[in-house]
Amino acid sequence: MSDNNLSHEDSRDERPRDEHSREGSASASRVIEMIGVVKQFGRKHVLEGVNLTVFAGQTFAFLGRNGAGKSTAIRMLLGLLKPDAGTVRVLGMDPQAEPLKVRQRVGYLAEDQAMFGWMQVRQIIAFVKPFYPTWDEKWARHLCERFELPMTTKVRHLSKGQGVRVGLLLALAHRPELVILDDPTLGLDPIMRKEFLRDLVTFLQGERVTVFFSSHLLYEIEPVADAVAILDRGRIVRQAQTEALRENVKRLILPSAAEAVARGLPGLLDISRRGRQIAVVVEDAQAAGAALARQGVSHESIDLNLDEIFEAYVIGRKEPANAEPSLERVA
Amino acid sequence: MRSLLWKEWHEQRWKLAFGSLILGAFAGVGLHARVIADENLLEMVCFLAVLLLSVMSSTGLVPAEREEGTMRMLLALPVRPSLVFSIKMLIGVLLCVVPLIFSALVSIAIAGGREISTASILALHARTLAATLSLYFWMLALTVRLPTEARASLIAIGVLIIWMMLTLGLLAGEDWHRPGILSRLMALDPFVFLAGFPHTGWVVSLALAACVQATIALALCLWAAWQFPKAKEARP
Repeated sequence: MSDNNLSHEDSRDERPRDEHSREGSASASRVIEMIGVVKQFGRKHVLEGVNLTVFAGQTFAFLGRNGAGKSTAIRMLLGLLKPDAGTVRVLGMDPQAEPLKVRQRVGYLAEDQAMFGWMQVRQIIAFVKPFYPTWDEKWARHLCERFELPMTTKVRHLSKGQGVRVGLLLALAHRPELVILDDPTLGLDPIMRKEFLRDLVTFLQGERVTVFFSSHLLYEIEPVADAVAILDRGRIVRQAQTEALRENVKRLILPSAAEAVARGLPGLLDISRRGRQIAVVVEDAQAAGAALARQGVSHESIDLNLDEIFEAYVIGRKEPANAEPSLERVA
Repeated sequence: MRSLLWKEWHEQRWKLAFGSLILGAFAGVGLHARVIADENLLEMVCFLAVLLLSVMSSTGLVPAEREEGTMRMLLALPVRPSLVFSIKMLIGVLLCVVPLIFSALVSIAIAGGREISTASILALHARTLAATLSLYFWMLALTVRLPTEARASLIAIGVLIIWMMLTLGLLAGEDWHRPGILSRLMALDPFVFLAGFPHTGWVVSLALAACVQATIALALCLWAAWQFPKAKEARP
């Protein structure tokens, strides 16, 4: 498992190609930057030296289990929480020093966002609008139509899906440069989650906006995310481009006789035993494949989806267990 | 700012109407029925006003918002938390002021100059307002971090009872002929505006108490404004 510094370097290496040609303006294209961020509440360490970089135009998935520290990190990005140590920069600004400027340029939708139930949809739009100098009335109307929002219905009478759409509209109508979505589909049923993603993708298609999307439901992130960071127990265990992650992190199937070799593979994330085979998930399939070839061990390589990669990082075991799902089913 | 004022007004206007109606009706019906002396009835109205308005205005602003979970949305907007707090505090003050003005007007209309002069009615209501506001700032400061309205109400009632007990204690321990430390401590007590200073004239002592309590209120406000964005909201 890579440590924080490594994962930070990893993110530099895997940034979009056009960033390499703009070394001089690299800091300007970094929309979010967290360096060595530490936060604890009482004795509970929530973030332990988080390093994270999000570049302009990326749709960035911030993954972690419930309680991993995602919301805490997001609240720091908005200047709502002060880090105990480390640096946070959003759009080149310090959210603690300039919270209002940051929030004016950021669209934010929180998990399970509670809104003023007594307001009608048109009233909540009118309430939020004056806080944003860049509010685009025409764009807001377009989003209302696109999201099919009933303007005269009270927010408390909206369905959960409609409520999330109102939240999305409020987060997007001022044409933010960065959109932060903190597990916005929490509590929605699968159909609603799909509709929400469809709405989000529709928005992203026309805009050159950076999206920072936190979630623990990976299958919904996978189609839209360019890059991901995996947060586990307050630490970033991996940050990479989604494609690169899929290319590098793979499951290798080996004969059980090669268990000792498998345990020594570089970047081992998970190992499980099933019958006469051993399944390992490795961070760098190419390096692991080369190591196996040197030992003369034949192997089969299986692609993983983001869900499985995430699982390997956060609940992977370095010691083989027998109670794993069958390899056939996994494959 | 107008947007925030509009929101708070829409949320609190029914409380304002309720407070005005209750006090106005109590004063109106009581004075019209003439079952007890006008002065005694107005003292009852004013005592009710202190209890009702201080608790209602302090607990319904911040803890209620936290309970509904909307505080998170409010604080995530590009607006200074101090402005959000100031507007809430201002609306709270209005919740104390308007019902008392209404009650004073009703009282003057029905019983002004009958057994008690109009000036005395106004003075009684002004003293009641001072006591109510003083308690309101105490309650606001002590409940600003609480996540639910119910918990805030308990604390507010606790503040009321403690100050009432202290008032009784101070009055009981007071030497009516020789002012001592207890009479000076009365200046800290919000109920001094209603109970008065036994040993000195009203005007000088009340002016002193008003200065002391305005300073305390300012300190409580600053502390509450500092605490306001820090607390966590209740999770549904």
